Amino acid sequence: MEDKLKKFAAEHREEFDVFEPQPELWQHICRELPHKPKEAKVISISFGDSVSFSANRLFMQVAAAIALLLGCGLTLLMMKQQAPESNNILAMSQAAASGIAPELAEVEAYYVSQIKEKKSELSAYDLKILGLGDENEIDAELARLDSSYIQLKQQLYTNPNTDEIMSAMIQNLQIRIGVLNRQLEVLQKIEKLDQQPDLEPKKDDTTRI
Amino acid sequence: METLSYQDVNHHVIDRCRSGDHRAQYELYKLYSKAMFNVCMRITNDYAEAQDVLQEAFVSAFKNLNTYKAEASFGSWLKRIVVNASLTAIRKRRAELVPMDERTVGEVADETSEDDTEWQVERVRRAIQQLPDGYRVVLSLYLLEGYDHAEIAEVLEITESTSKSQYSRAKKKLLEIMKAPQFAG
Repeated sequence: MEDKLKKFAAEHREEFDVFEPQPELWQHICRELPHKPKEAKVISISFGDSVSFSANRLFMQVAAAIALLLGCGLTLLMMKQQAPESNNILAMSQAAASGIAPELAEVEAYYVSQIKEKKSELSAYDLKILGLGDENEIDAELARLDSSYIQLKQQLYTNPNTDEIMSAMIQNLQIRIGVLNRQLEVLQKIEKLDQQPDLEPKKDDTTRI
Repeated sequence: METLSYQDVNHHVIDRCRSGDHRAQYELYKLYSKAMFNVCMRITNDYAEAQDVLQEAFVSAFKNLNTYKAEASFGSWLKRIVVNASLTAIRKRRAELVPMDERTVGEVADETSEDDTEWQVERVRRAIQQLPDGYRVVLSLYLLEGYDHAEIAEVLEITESTSKSQYSRAKKKLLEIMKAPQFAG
């Protein structure tokens, strides 16, 4: 007798696989696997390139610092112009935020989009593959920055010292981008080493903010 | 080399895994985890347990990769580990896995009408989940994991004819479940 059920199952085999394991499962598996010497060798290769890496990193840090200063200076300047009207207001509703810091929305939108972009770039690198183990650290760091940002934002509505808070907020956003950039840079480096060991990394690619 | 007869497409990756390269291991994991997880799900019928089993199976596969001799595809080698780990899990859960050997062979109504016009994957899949463990395991292994009755007999430590009759009963039960008025598709 023909087994119609078997036939049906064979025809639709793929559709029967509807479940997915939790993404964290790989981390658990990884933790139970022994680290063997071969992997240490891979790491040492990446250290072999440390000269250009550290130079790159230094450049990146300087660039980040300059960008940070520029950003803060510019904001302060902008804030100064707004100061007279905003300093008179002590407490106000969220809706009136545009009165305190009209440029905040714009600045925030800009950085948020930047952060989003970096994050999606990062996840494209499949952070977890690398088993670097520090992604939790990064997530924790970002979460910490996020909560302090929210605190600052609340203060903005009640604290007369808008300038200081605004620049702290912007700094907060820039630090986030810095953290993400750093991680991205490391991953790109690893990927390049893996794929084309002899290719010189482009220096400006990773140093822009 | 005679191993060329079955050169697995993944053999480069497998070689890297053997030397403990975590990225290579992750590549294999990414490739097989979903399919293997669904195997675990079908056998254990429990999400948390399926996760534990999958983890255990992958760890054991990576640790014992040197015993993989490329005489079968890596996928079927891995699947065997996953199936065995899943079976161990449900045996632990319930000492008896449906008293299969007690069942008399034969006397299974073959004439169950297989009205396949109304079959939909999701309905069939959910009906399989409602089968008792013993039925579900035999039916899943036969229908979906590509095992024949001889292989099922081997992994379940039963006879081939028991496997056949268990499958017939499981199929009958499955069709009944799907026909039941309270079974919402």
